[in-house]
Amino acid sequence: MVRRSALRRREVGARRFSIIVVLVVSLVLTLVVRLYWVQVADPHKPKQTAGLTHPGHIVVPAPRGSIVDSTGHVLVDNTTVQVLTIDKEAISVLPDHGAAVLRRVAVLLHTTAAKLAAEITPCSVKVPAPCWTGEPYQPVPVASHLPMSTVLAVGENRESFPGVAIRTETLPHYPYGSLAGQILGYTAQVTAADQKRHPKLADPDTIGVSGLEEQYDDALRGVDGVQTKNLNPQGYAESNGGSVAPKQGDTLVTSINFKLQRLAEQSLAQQIADSRKAGMPATGGAVVAMDPQTGRVLAVASYPDYNPQMFVGGISQKNYAALTAPTADDPLLSRAVAGAYAPGSTFKLITSSSLVTHHEISMTGIYPCPGSVTIDGRVKTNYDSEVLGPVDLENALGYSCDTFFYAPEANEYYADEARIANHEQPHEWLQHMASNYGVMRKPGIDLPASEQAAGSYADRETRMARWKANKKTYCAQAQHGYPSIKDPKQRAYLTQLASENCTDGWRYRAGDNADMAIGQGETTMSPLQLAIAYSALVNGGRIWSPKLGWAIVNGKGKVVRTIHPKVHNTVPVSAKVFDYIANSLNFGRGWAVSGAFAYLQSPYRNRIGGKTGTAEVEGHKDTSWLATWGPIYHTKKGHHVRARFVLVGMVEQAGTGATAAGPMLKRIWDGLLGADGKKPIIPGERPSDRLPAIKATR
Amino acid sequence: MTLAARDPRAPFDLPAPLVEPRIERIARYDWLLAATALALGLVGAVLVWAATRDVERAAGNNPNGYLYRHLINLGIAAVLAFLASRLDAKMLRRSGPFAYLAGVFGLLLVLAVGVTINGAHAWISLGGGFEIQPSEFMKLGLVIGLAVLFVQRSRDRDPGPPATSDVLLALGLVTIPLALIMLQPDLGSAMVVAVAAFGVLVSAGVRARWTIGLLIAGVAGAVLAVRLGLLQSYQLARFSAFTNPHHDPQGVAYNINQAHIAIANGGMFGTGLFNGPQTNGGYVPEQRTDFIFSVLGEEFGFVGGVVVIALFGLLCWRGIVIARRADRTGHLVAIGIVCWFAFQAFQNIGMNLGLMPVTGIPLPFVSYGGSSMFAQGLAVGVLFAIRRASLLPR
Repeated sequence: MVRRSALRRREVGARRFSIIVVLVVSLVLTLVVRLYWVQVADPHKPKQTAGLTHPGHIVVPAPRGSIVDSTGHVLVDNTTVQVLTIDKEAISVLPDHGAAVLRRVAVLLHTTAAKLAAEITPCSVKVPAPCWTGEPYQPVPVASHLPMSTVLAVGENRESFPGVAIRTETLPHYPYGSLAGQILGYTAQVTAADQKRHPKLADPDTIGVSGLEEQYDDALRGVDGVQTKNLNPQGYAESNGGSVAPKQGDTLVTSINFKLQRLAEQSLAQQIADSRKAGMPATGGAVVAMDPQTGRVLAVASYPDYNPQMFVGGISQKNYAALTAPTADDPLLSRAVAGAYAPGSTFKLITSSSLVTHHEISMTGIYPCPGSVTIDGRVKTNYDSEVLGPVDLENALGYSCDTFFYAPEANEYYADEARIANHEQPHEWLQHMASNYGVMRKPGIDLPASEQAAGSYADRETRMARWKANKKTYCAQAQHGYPSIKDPKQRAYLTQLASENCTDGWRYRAGDNADMAIGQGETTMSPLQLAIAYSALVNGGRIWSPKLGWAIVNGKGKVVRTIHPKVHNTVPVSAKVFDYIANSLNFGRGWAVSGAFAYLQSPYRNRIGGKTGTAEVEGHKDTSWLATWGPIYHTKKGHHVRARFVLVGMVEQAGTGATAAGPMLKRIWDGLLGADGKKPIIPGERPSDRLPAIKATR
Repeated sequence: MTLAARDPRAPFDLPAPLVEPRIERIARYDWLLAATALALGLVGAVLVWAATRDVERAAGNNPNGYLYRHLINLGIAAVLAFLASRLDAKMLRRSGPFAYLAGVFGLLLVLAVGVTINGAHAWISLGGGFEIQPSEFMKLGLVIGLAVLFVQRSRDRDPGPPATSDVLLALGLVTIPLALIMLQPDLGSAMVVAVAAFGVLVSAGVRARWTIGLLIAGVAGAVLAVRLGLLQSYQLARFSAFTNPHHDPQGVAYNINQAHIAIANGGMFGTGLFNGPQTNGGYVPEQRTDFIFSVLGEEFGFVGGVVVIALFGLLCWRGIVIARRADRTGHLVAIGIVCWFAFQAFQNIGMNLGLMPVTGIPLPFVSYGGSSMFAQGLAVGVLFAIRRASLLPR
């Protein structure tokens, strides 16, 4: 029994043993057969992929295109700086892995070899900043703006500095510093968000982020060059491949006139200084000059300003903090385009257009100009409660009577209310006229939309919408009072106001319409918008979408694109009315025109006209405005009034239009039309209509 | 078989002669086995060198660094093999529980203080860049442990097939390290351990219903593991890349594709040593370890591949010869080791050739890696010991 089972076990053991042997043999055979198939028999063997090296690209950023004025004067160009680069690969093959080279470079750059070594080490999970964020095969820039001595030290001792190179980089350069700074804008290193929008942007590229640099970025950016290196699979450069030179961006020719721009900025700065000397805060100001016949903008000045050069190569934290500090008064903002201010009496152009066109007053009629009128129980006065007695529109405009315009605009309001009571639509003629002149609409100048103010005015619809949006807050404030405010008088006043807003905040009142008539209340415009409106006065009613850009010229000096301002709208006002208003405000009328005060001695005063504005701002000194046009000429057909230039000036918190904006613009008119024996700064006293010749750059 | 010498002073047979003739002592080593293992190790040294020298030089390191370290590993493995070969049959039997427990302890230690490399938490860092992978030693520990278990349990019993309780106990012994390895998770090592254990079970004469049942259970378990998401994502990715190598050419399948390109371009005779563009370019990841066969395929071609496969065949043949002559314990241990070497080599080469899914296990003796080399050295030493014991009179 035992024997038999032992025998059986041996049989089983032998069988099992042979199973193992067979298995092992079959494994070996399987491998050999498969190996034969893969290496010898397979007719579709995979090919070795892409050789042994693959290309690595180093982007060479293209120099940005220049921006020039209408006479070919360069406003932004490029300057070159010397940049010292270290090629990590080249020095790592040295016997000491480049330690000696780094020491020598450190001495030149007044830094330490350890810092340099950290800077040129490619970043990784294990390598924290400072480290090199670019490709590992790329030479790392470690210093720029090198002094000539450093450049020579490296250049003359090549054998001591293997792997070290001096590279020339181009950077934007602003030869006139802050001149037209806000309009030109600035550039910055691309961000990940930029690259998402423009997939072609490479890391070292810059992009315009403000002003014309942003608006015409596509044209100015150029085409990056590429230097190719043949990399082995580990990413180390084995040899140089081909290279494609970068193509500089196209040149942007603007309609800015350099001389006029400089004069405007100087005059603005002087006025700020003068007004401050006179005891006014004069926190800022703006000047806009445009060609009313073409819609081209000739000068845009804004105070305070900044130098875009600060942004080249990245602005320092300190500089940026200084520019954006509350005490800096927004130097980055172009007040001329992005600022919205109550236009004051300059708005009477629009009010007059509306009243005469809709026959609410006539050009020959005589209407009262008392010291004050009472509308809805509120007393509204003239400036200094001046009394002119009964006057016509010509003198109401010239002397700038406010009460003259209150009555007809209050009447328009009441007529509209009657229409509403009759279930008819209100006319809101004044608002429509304002809209026709471009108020409450971005002017469409070729600057980023975020840098243009649309202006505003009040009407029934916007008032209702605002009330609906804020009703809850008003009512809550009315209910709870203002417990945080200590002064019981002010608390009572604010609570009363909230209570009125809670119940009646939707109501558009006669007083609102009267306020709008003289450019007050919720009426605001940018200096540029006012320039566009006054251009319409002397160009037959055309409202321009004005342009700063005139043409794009490529590297061969050839115009690739001409930029044309477009007429956005034609104001529905007759030529007769325009001529009447323009003649009423001609400075030749002397004392009868408030804007003419600064020009009484000017030889050219008959040739220009203008309207002052003195806008009251709650809690601040008055905004000083002057909108002017000239030199006046007349059309052959119909003898209508036309002008070559429109100049608008504005000074914040500087007093009346005649005391600040008046003298400010006079200095510019003196330059434009020639005074004190000087020749006009623009030959022929008219904007150039010919593009300057741009030299080919390639 | 040599007859045992009889000591004239003793009235009884001695288990071993007091003084062995020197010639005989040397003859008891299986020199063909030793030469085969050494040949594989040296081929490995050359291939590791070829796989690393260009990449290391480009990185600014010593291009011969891996060659030296592989040779040092080989030397240490030879010493370990010699030490293990000195075990006699009794010591081998007694070492069973210790080898097993040491392996399990190592695996537990990994879970406590191990480091993760390539997705598996399988290494213990010894400091100074040295790591040890306990699962490699577990293979040997389990084989010896299982063999001793079966022999001890059946010693005083009817010498029929192992009893159910024995099988269950054996399965328990297998399950513990298998579970610990799967926790790391190291699918490749787990497969090798399972196959080696299965080889021991089959050879121990476990009834066919058990062996076939286990096979079915194994396959079902694998299917279930995939379905229930018990595998790590990287393991699944490797499997799906195996079934469709063009599915993810930049990810897991990249490895397979690059290895395939290297081997296929080797052709019949290969590009010659140091001339494989795919190898020199460093295109094949993990080439010095798991994908070392792709160096061989590219630079030595089909001929070189067949030689190495033949060397593995020879290795297994020597193991089988030793197993056939050995006592019961030695037989089971030798079979277990043969199954281990055979399957691991097959799995590794098969993965290089796209026959098997990618699991990170080295090619025995050839791949760079200390732990596996040492464990294999010990295993070869144990084979020597078994052979020597079998040549002694029982």
